[in-house]
Amino acid sequence: MRTVEVLFVIVILLTAFVITTQFAVLPSPREAFGTNLRELSQSTLETLDTQGILSATVFEDATDDAWGELQKAISVSIPPNMVYNLSVYDLTANSEGVVTYELEHSISDASFGSSSDVASLMVTSPDVTFTQDPQTVGESTGQPITLYILNCGDSNGWWITGYTGQSLAADLHRLLSPYFQTTVLVNSTSELATLLNGANITSQVGEHVEDAVIVNTFGEAVPIPEDYCVGGSHQAEGYDSSSSTYARYFHTLGSLTGQYNWTWVSIVGYPFYYVTNTGYFDSVHNGYGVYGMEVIGTAGVNAFLQGLDNRGYSYDTSGTAAGVGVVQFTYEALDRCNYYGIYPSPYQTSSRALTVSILASYNLEQVAPVFQLKDNRIAAATFKHQSGNGALTAIGLTRIPDIRVAVLGLLMYYGPTVYRSEFGASGTSRLVTLQLGQQGGS
Amino acid sequence: MTGATIDHMVSLTILIAALMVAMLTYSGMFATAVDYDRNRQVANKAIDLMNTICLSPGNPTNWGTTNISLLGFGLNDPNVGGYALSPYSIMRLATSISSGGSPLVYYPKTNLYYNNLSANYGHGVFAPTGGLITYECAAELLAINRTYGFGIDIAPTIDVEVTPVTGLGHLALNVEVSGSGLPLSGATLNCHLFHVNELVVTPYSSVAQTNSSGQQLIEFETIDEDDAFSFTVYADLGGITGVGYYTKNTAGSDLQFVIPLIKNYTSGEVILAHAWDIFEDDSLHAEVQINATFFILTSNFQFQEYDLDFTSGPLNYGTGKPYYTTQVPVSEVGLLVVSYKKSTNEVGTVIMPWGVGTLGVSVSFDSGSTPSGYDFVATELRQVTIDGISYQVKVSTWKLGS
Repeated sequence: MRTVEVLFVIVILLTAFVITTQFAVLPSPREAFGTNLRELSQSTLETLDTQGILSATVFEDATDDAWGELQKAISVSIPPNMVYNLSVYDLTANSEGVVTYELEHSISDASFGSSSDVASLMVTSPDVTFTQDPQTVGESTGQPITLYILNCGDSNGWWITGYTGQSLAADLHRLLSPYFQTTVLVNSTSELATLLNGANITSQVGEHVEDAVIVNTFGEAVPIPEDYCVGGSHQAEGYDSSSSTYARYFHTLGSLTGQYNWTWVSIVGYPFYYVTNTGYFDSVHNGYGVYGMEVIGTAGVNAFLQGLDNRGYSYDTSGTAAGVGVVQFTYEALDRCNYYGIYPSPYQTSSRALTVSILASYNLEQVAPVFQLKDNRIAAATFKHQSGNGALTAIGLTRIPDIRVAVLGLLMYYGPTVYRSEFGASGTSRLVTLQLGQQGGS
Repeated sequence: MTGATIDHMVSLTILIAALMVAMLTYSGMFATAVDYDRNRQVANKAIDLMNTICLSPGNPTNWGTTNISLLGFGLNDPNVGGYALSPYSIMRLATSISSGGSPLVYYPKTNLYYNNLSANYGHGVFAPTGGLITYECAAELLAINRTYGFGIDIAPTIDVEVTPVTGLGHLALNVEVSGSGLPLSGATLNCHLFHVNELVVTPYSSVAQTNSSGQQLIEFETIDEDDAFSFTVYADLGGITGVGYYTKNTAGSDLQFVIPLIKNYTSGEVILAHAWDIFEDDSLHAEVQINATFFILTSNFQFQEYDLDFTSGPLNYGTGKPYYTTQVPVSEVGLLVVSYKKSTNEVGTVIMPWGVGTLGVSVSFDSGSTPSGYDFVATELRQVTIDGISYQVKVSTWKLGS
């Protein structure tokens, strides 16, 4: 009787075992691994395109010899126990901009088993050049604006440690000239004098003194023509004999900025702190051993703003700029960095931020602030006069100058559009997929 | 009573036997599951290691061109990105202890051992062992020390073989291109000959294409077949590039008389040592005049000569005879071509790649033993480029211990 019961138990055990093995189908430990086909496929595609050969081939006609070479190249790139299928899809965009993929061509060496994986690569035709064409400043309004960059050979810079005004002028020319119809380098203080007299300094057709942008590359120092110095024909517009200072020269610059609707750009430091002319001030230094310049001090920017506000000159030494430490880009500035492809650090140290009180004091309007307001001071922005005539772009950062901040500030102020060709445009891009399959065991 | 006892005994025996069969069966299933899981872990680690090695440049990113110690291991070329390996980082790997690696060489005049990353005898990268990254160091930086073993094999994707063809009255070389054992027809060949006359190295270039059997005869009709030269050829087919080379001297020894040894990665200083001081072979008993020229390899596999600050002079062996030092441009991959003259008609060249891709040097980096004793070894494969030359990288991984 017991034997019969045990036989029942055995039957139950066997049934349990059969049921368990039916459901618990375990893979062989050897099957735990198969080469990562997707990554091998991805690396193969990238390697084939290292010299642009893959990009060139997939745009060739299906009968071209290049396809045969590509086929050989894929064959030697993958292990012998693998098969492949390379497919090329053409991208077409309809009028609504919806992109569709159509199979253009496919090559394969065998049919696939169960184990396969695929990777893809987007390639662009070598015959297509993707461009970005900036709209020139003033183009949309039909008002061509000339960019003047001070490159005076007879001037020295200050607060531009590690650079010279001339080297910065070259960099600014490279960065900014695509955005302006006409760019003029002001190569000497005598050419600057011509400009201050309202006359063109080159024979370029597009040069216009009115509405121009003038970028001072000499940091806290501003080139001064000899005519505006003591003994010169414009001494009265350059020198304040009662206070023995050239602050009046900056008042003149402010007045001319309003008169000609200029935008004056101070790329770094305290604006209008020194005047520089290495010929005239050859034996005068700025207090730190840099000859060719004379200190004006805090009165300089006040005099300029007085001139911009079209009021009379008075010697005012009140401090307008001060340090506020680390400042952070505004959201608009961060957005414009991406738009124009300019990426300075969004955190900078400002040691010469202008106080917000100048907005009310000199009837200014703050436009396109680069940094967030801190301690009621503006580290970098464009200050436009409320009359609509004249503006000052002041970048009150510490040295060493990062001229990309000045470029960003200026582009934010004028906001030129950049026209880019689209990568998804029909006939310019193709999607290549490479499917790899493993034959036999792993 | 007796019948019931026997009944109990029989039934108990059958029950125990059935339970044992069931337990054995289930334990087999469990063992399979555990093995599978363990192997899966090894496979995942292999993928992880391959990604780290190929896609990370390490820390600092320029460690291949410095003598400083490493904080993170990776071979990616930070100047190229993607699946491109740094030609300089690979030069700093201690490959001589690896299985199949060329043995270390000792140079008594600096009292240093040099890693031997050879393409062939005398043509390769000899780097001082002090600045090398060892297998143990790499394993620690990859955080697998004593838990996983690994090996890296980096080899050119296609083979380019160069053999001299004699009897034509002028220099002729047969170039054969193959991949996965198959001849590659239609491959474009960028050929560069460095002909040596006295100590002057004159470069010649030509372009050709392999025929249907994957071969092409390259002829230089103005050069005698008995002259000394170095020859490199870059074969390109459908985006895959390989390199081959051949060197011949007329100095009466199968060995080369000069061995370039890297002195400093950061400055690019290279020692030009007399080969007798290293190998002490009787056939090398001679003073030689030497000269050095560097050729930068451009992105389209052409060579541009670079002026080295080096004045040719005599190089002798033995105690009291100094070696020469020259300096190659650190940031440029290329070939250092050292020409030497034993006598008027006995000259030769030694070529040293600066950046392993220039001569298609293969690299193995492991602990020195093969993983043959381990149950399961996972391997990962990737295609990469080094200096534009196509390579395959294989990373093998296995679990250490039980």
